[in-house]
Amino acid sequence: MANRPFSKLGEGLAKGEFVLTGELEPEKTCDLSHTIKEANEMAPYVHAANVTDSPLGIVTINSMAASNIIQRETGLECVWQLTVRDVNKLGIAGMIMGGHALGLRNVLSLTGDHTALGDMPESKPVFDLDSSTLVKLVREMVDEESINGHEIECPPTFHVGAAANPNADPMGAEILKIGRKAEAGAEFLQTQVVYDIDRTIEFLTEIKKYKVPVLLGIFPMKSYGIAKGFDTFVPGVSVPPDILAKWKGIKKNITDKKEKKAAYDEANYEFFKPFITELKKKGLLAGVHCMAVHYTRIFPKLIEVIKA
Amino acid sequence: MVVITTAKPDEEVFEALERYDIKKTVVVSCGTCAALCQTGGTEGLENWTKKLEEKGIQVAAGIVSDDVCDNRVMMKDLRKIDDELKDADGILTLSCGLGEQSLVKVLGRKYPEKPVIIANNTEFMGMTERIGRFYMRCRGCGDCLLNDTGGICPITTCAKSLMNGPCGGMVEGMCEVGDYERDCGWVLIYKRLEEMGRLDLFEKLRDSFDWSERGHQREVVFR
Ligand code: SF4
Ligand code: SF4
Repeated sequence: MANRPFSKLGEGLAKGEFVLTGELEPEKTCDLSHTIKEANEMAPYVHAANVTDSPLGIVTINSMAASNIIQRETGLECVWQLTVRDVNKLGIAGMIMGGHALGLRNVLSLTGDHTALGDMPESKPVFDLDSSTLVKLVREMVDEESINGHEIECPPTFHVGAAANPNADPMGAEILKIGRKAEAGAEFLQTQVVYDIDRTIEFLTEIKKYKVPVLLGIFPMKSYGIAKGFDTFVPGVSVPPDILAKWKGIKKNITDKKEKKAAYDEANYEFFKPFITELKKKGLLAGVHCMAVHYTRIFPKLIEVIKA
Repeated sequence: MVVITTAKPDEEVFEALERYDIKKTVVVSCGTCAALCQTGGTEGLENWTKKLEEKGIQVAAGIVSDDVCDNRVMMKDLRKIDDELKDADGILTLSCGLGEQSLVKVLGRKYPEKPVIIANNTEFMGMTERIGRFYMRCRGCGDCLLNDTGGICPITTCAKSLMNGPCGGMVEGMCEVGDYERDCGWVLIYKRLEEMGRLDLFEKLRDSFDWSERGHQREVVFR
């Protein structure tokens, strides 16, 4: 078995550093220059950045290819998001080897939104694996250097993570599911966005028993429009009314563009600083995963939050 | 158990009849499942006879058969209308896909040149709540999991047929597919196992489905 860690993210987690990851969302284009620009902007601040895999079932450039290009062009380490929606077990095993050969070392196992939700609903929904059995497959290939007992001549090396949802209802089902992911060998968890501190503490305390490092998903809001949109359109997540009111106030009361931006950034800082500090103090977090795409200017402030 | 069928649009059926140049047909209507789904039975036979004649297609004979999907029954029933069959250009069947293929097999022995046209789409094996409300609750996966999942089938009640759900698309117990109007199958399983005090079964990590014997033609032959 190859020696861990395999990546900067893996090393950060192993050393107990407080880890920060960002998120990049390649779009329906073969030209990644826009994503590469954002990757360059966040690179100085983060351990790694997730690269999404056709979120909402809306087809985009393949996440393995995008992760490879981003890593090559910017040096920013990627967390390759891999859903089980589109490829069967055989295909995914091949992709794990291909991903390694392309230099990827972190993979996030996801179910993926159903094809019926996206812009190619006529596609076959595959789901041969699920988010737990994909973790298991990666661990088998990495640790046992084999698939179904058949040796892999040069085996892949990956840190494999999984998702966790503090907003889930019923919560009991989610907790037990995280237990399955832990049993399958998940090495880190990235959570869905959550704004309620009590709920977050309860959730993180509950899953502490599984001993998997947790990166809390946060979504700093770049503008009132984004905050409102997030509240309205992301199922199962709501932005608290007082935050929405504060963001609305900024939109209404500040006209100067530069000042407005600074006010939004400051408001995010003021909200997330005590939030994260408290969770850190309680020893519930291994890091933070910032899911706010196209908001790279927030990273210097986030670093302040994290270092606080 | 009922094989659930829905009617194809009339135009599609007439197009198929035209494609095979059928000017005179025998109609075979299923008196069991399709009758229950209102896509066959006596009523279906009457409706189709009328529609066909309106379009100038002659109906040489029409029968309602109990088990179109049973080769033995079809052999017997077709024998009774052999004269009409000889005279017809083909058969229109108001049955499921099994019925159609049973007809093809039986008819093929004597009249291999005659086409069989199907008027229905076969949806699934259905559980009946009441007439007009049928639900897919088993896909015949061949490796039943019900003893592990509190008697609720994840293959059919989960939109992704996951072995380890619920997925992140579940919101307040509802499934992301169909605009959160249907229950998430894995929450149903969770609740049922919780009621039975058997959440240990829910916690179990399940392997992915084994397709090795089930990803191709299947048959059960024991004698
Ligand atoms: S698990 Fe579901 S699909 Fe498979 S045999 Fe049982 S009820 Fe049918
Ligand atoms: S929400 Fe539930 S039923 Fe729907 S796909 Fe996810 S696990 Fe399956």
